[in-house]
Amino acid sequence: MSEPVVHITNLHLRYHHKTVLQDLNWTINRGENWLLRGSSGSGKTSVAKAIAGLVKFEGDIDINFDLHSSLAPVAHYVANWYQFKDLEGQSNFYYQQRYNKQAEETTATVRAELENYGKNYHLDFAEAERLVTALGFSDLIDSTLIQLSSGEHKKLQLVEALWFRPQLLMMDQPYNGLDKLSRQHLNSLLEEISAAGTQLVLISNDKDLPSCINRFAEIKGGQLHETDAGHTAHFQEEENRPVPEFLSEGPISLADSIVKMNNVNISYGDKQVLKNINWEVKAGEKWLLQGHNGSGKSTLLSLITGDHPQAYANDFSLFGHRRGSGESIWDIKKRMGLISPELQWYFDPSATVKQSIISGFFDSSGLFRQPNYTQQMQANELIGYFGLKEYQDTLMNQLPLGKQRLAFLARTIIKNPELLILDEPCQGLDQHQAQHFNELVDELCSNGTTLIYVGHFESQLPACIEKRILLENGEVKSVETILESI
Amino acid sequence: MSNYFNTLPLREKLNQLGVCDFMDSSEFLDGVDALKGKKLVIVGCGAQGLNQGLNLRDSGLNIAYALRKEAIEGKRDSWKNATENNFPVGTYEELIPEADLVINLTPDKQHTAVVNAVMPFMKQGSTLLYSHGFNIVEEGLQVRKDITVIMVAPKSPGSEVRAEYVRGFGVPTLIAVHPENDPEGKGLVQAKAYCVGTGGHKAGVLKSSFVAEVKSDLMGEQTILCGLLQTGSILSFDKMVEKGIDAGYASKLVQYGVEVITEALKHGGITAMMDRLSNVAKIKAFEVSEELKTIMRPLFQKHQDDIMSGEFSRIMMEDWAAGDKNLLAWRAATGETAFEKTPAGDVKIGEQEYFDNALLMVAFIRAGVELAFETMVEAGIKPESAYYESLHETPLIANTIARKKLFEMNRVISDTAEYGCYLFDHACKPLLADFMTKVETDLIGKNFNEGKDGAVDNSALISVNEVIRSHEVETIGAELRKAMTAMKSIKTV
Repeated sequence: MSEPVVHITNLHLRYHHKTVLQDLNWTINRGENWLLRGSSGSGKTSVAKAIAGLVKFEGDIDINFDLHSSLAPVAHYVANWYQFKDLEGQSNFYYQQRYNKQAEETTATVRAELENYGKNYHLDFAEAERLVTALGFSDLIDSTLIQLSSGEHKKLQLVEALWFRPQLLMMDQPYNGLDKLSRQHLNSLLEEISAAGTQLVLISNDKDLPSCINRFAEIKGGQLHETDAGHTAHFQEEENRPVPEFLSEGPISLADSIVKMNNVNISYGDKQVLKNINWEVKAGEKWLLQGHNGSGKSTLLSLITGDHPQAYANDFSLFGHRRGSGESIWDIKKRMGLISPELQWYFDPSATVKQSIISGFFDSSGLFRQPNYTQQMQANELIGYFGLKEYQDTLMNQLPLGKQRLAFLARTIIKNPELLILDEPCQGLDQHQAQHFNELVDELCSNGTTLIYVGHFESQLPACIEKRILLENGEVKSVETILESI
Repeated sequence: MSNYFNTLPLREKLNQLGVCDFMDSSEFLDGVDALKGKKLVIVGCGAQGLNQGLNLRDSGLNIAYALRKEAIEGKRDSWKNATENNFPVGTYEELIPEADLVINLTPDKQHTAVVNAVMPFMKQGSTLLYSHGFNIVEEGLQVRKDITVIMVAPKSPGSEVRAEYVRGFGVPTLIAVHPENDPEGKGLVQAKAYCVGTGGHKAGVLKSSFVAEVKSDLMGEQTILCGLLQTGSILSFDKMVEKGIDAGYASKLVQYGVEVITEALKHGGITAMMDRLSNVAKIKAFEVSEELKTIMRPLFQKHQDDIMSGEFSRIMMEDWAAGDKNLLAWRAATGETAFEKTPAGDVKIGEQEYFDNALLMVAFIRAGVELAFETMVEAGIKPESAYYESLHETPLIANTIARKKLFEMNRVISDTAEYGCYLFDHACKPLLADFMTKVETDLIGKNFNEGKDGAVDNSALISVNEVIRSHEVETIGAELRKAMTAMKSIKTV
């Protein structure tokens, strides 16, 4: 038998002064494709980064590439989100910059980015075009990077990784933000490159996997444990705590109609991203917003959150007031709570968990002013309710993903808003975490809060959802009541 | 037109130079009310014009853009910026007569032409807003007596003004009312409301005067902000190459070093910057910077004198009249310097290495910031103004050098700043020639601490620390920074 591709002995790794991996041993043999599972913060990402040589570690990692293979002798790690740069090589972007028309020209087009990538790694551009088509991405090839939604960025990142064809490809949360169809396409592409010799390590808690995955493991207690395919990790039950008093009263809605859109249209140049949208969300309703990647969901939400400059050219009302009739975006944001992948990316990295939660009172992406006594007390109550006490002084971005999402939910509801907008809040969470998160959403919304929830996967939804709007290519495909179907 | 400042009696000159109050946040409780329902028309739609307009509209105000007919017909960038963001756009004739507030956000050089074109259309009792007072103070433009003239100047590039606003914060801003044009006494109220509209009130607002803003702004940009950064960068690079340090390394050390070093300034002033050095290195940097201060002080004073007397503006406006002959020649020469033409090498330089291996740059920055501050304060400018125009802006300008070296810095700053920068640079280099012959690679290019055991004399260290920490730029800075602690850190490394 040939020597193993990767052989790890006694791997030790610390992350922000905490031991994450301890005495971890792992062998990846030729022909093996692994799935790595584990709860949030267990160290899945750290193992992959250590193999790719991206983090410091102690212990031994031997990598043996096949020198006769035509595939690149590289252990390539693909991060869980795509970080792009502007034409000056910086990635100093700000929240909602993608809707600023002037900002477009500061980033390359998808085509230019791919051409550049191909040139750096000496790849054939025809293959990139094939992958772009296979992932249903060809319409966007001339868009600029900053215009893309989170799902679309993911696809671009996947195209680059698949195109590169390293001998070992390690993908962290490759399904994040992808719709069902795109997930299927990704799986067939992974099967294809695996058949051609690339070995895979997927980090994911998802169930629909490429058929070539033949080994399974879970990271637990800093070590790697091999499991069988159907294994689901065992989780500690969360304690049930009572909802803080100040949230038990329903928010006072002065308007019956929270959102009302009449023939809303949004275009960028010749490209129309929203077409004749008519939609009304009444006070207290719980909506699910769905659609493929690029169907217009994030643009639609950005209108509601006051972040899209084209809001001023359309006929729609928020909380009973016509948009652009003298209100400020801060008047609007005051009445809603938001979680979205974008908000999280652009959030102040120097804010602690407690500061981040309090910032919800001011709708700022970080805490820039002194909270008063009541605000601090309410933050403390919420921190207790969400079980975040031991993390309250930790930096937000050092928290494991699952806890981070709970802290963002706390930030969102701290002012008891009339409208809650949760854009893929369970992205990257494991099933258990998603379930816990959604149970909290159900509990918090039972006081009459209006909800707009975006989620790709039918299994991970709060039970309170009662209506669904489906977008397709920027148009409303269907609106339905789905009380029974969930 | 004649220089407005020079028409004032001495008493009034000092009076207007000495205006600078840090405003309490309670001054902004009325929000944008004073401008609510009014028609705001912005002239010009470049980076400041567009981004301020986006913020003002998102604050619930009514915004339109007035552009020249040729810009509209030619569908130029300004027209695209405005229409693609769904703003109403029209010619001066169409929009100005309706406007309650006309906001002039065109480049300095065009101010006279723009204001003369716009003024006949402005309605009785309306307001004209500037974001820089050069036109009023140096060119002495007279505005119709019924019109209120105010200034609101966000102290950051346009994109930053937008980025901070959407984060729920803002950028530090300076506001002023022109005493010759405040017929109804509404200038300050409107300036405050505008400031709330752009988000500036959350980050700290200084009440200044047109005169103080212009005289301090010119001084800061010519000396420490642009002039000295240019001189220091070029001299440091040339010295390293002369002494055999790899040119790619030298280029990178300077290009990114200015940013990394001044990042420390932003957080904790000169004290924090000097504290990043070891004790031995700090004492050496202190001595070098004291020497630099002695050599350069007369040049800083000359710049301040020429700014106060109007001599600087006079020669610059002569150059405008000559089709920017000198400016263009100097710009081209900067593009040809070895520093500009040597790309940053593909070497890793750790954050601390930017301090340890560039002690000379640290000394240049301390000397420049303190000299600019001291010279301004001696000339009658308030310490608060002097702080903003020296220490506060240094990291912002250093950031442009990190992006694309001196070319980028000179592209981003105004033509006025660029002109002053070259003037300073050309006078400063010969002045430092002798000094530079003594500089070895321990000051620039190699780690100063190498081969030293780090021992220092207690009393020497204490007295150096004392001098650094008790400087007025440090005491006033600590106070002002408290109000803007949340400023986003600028990072490219």
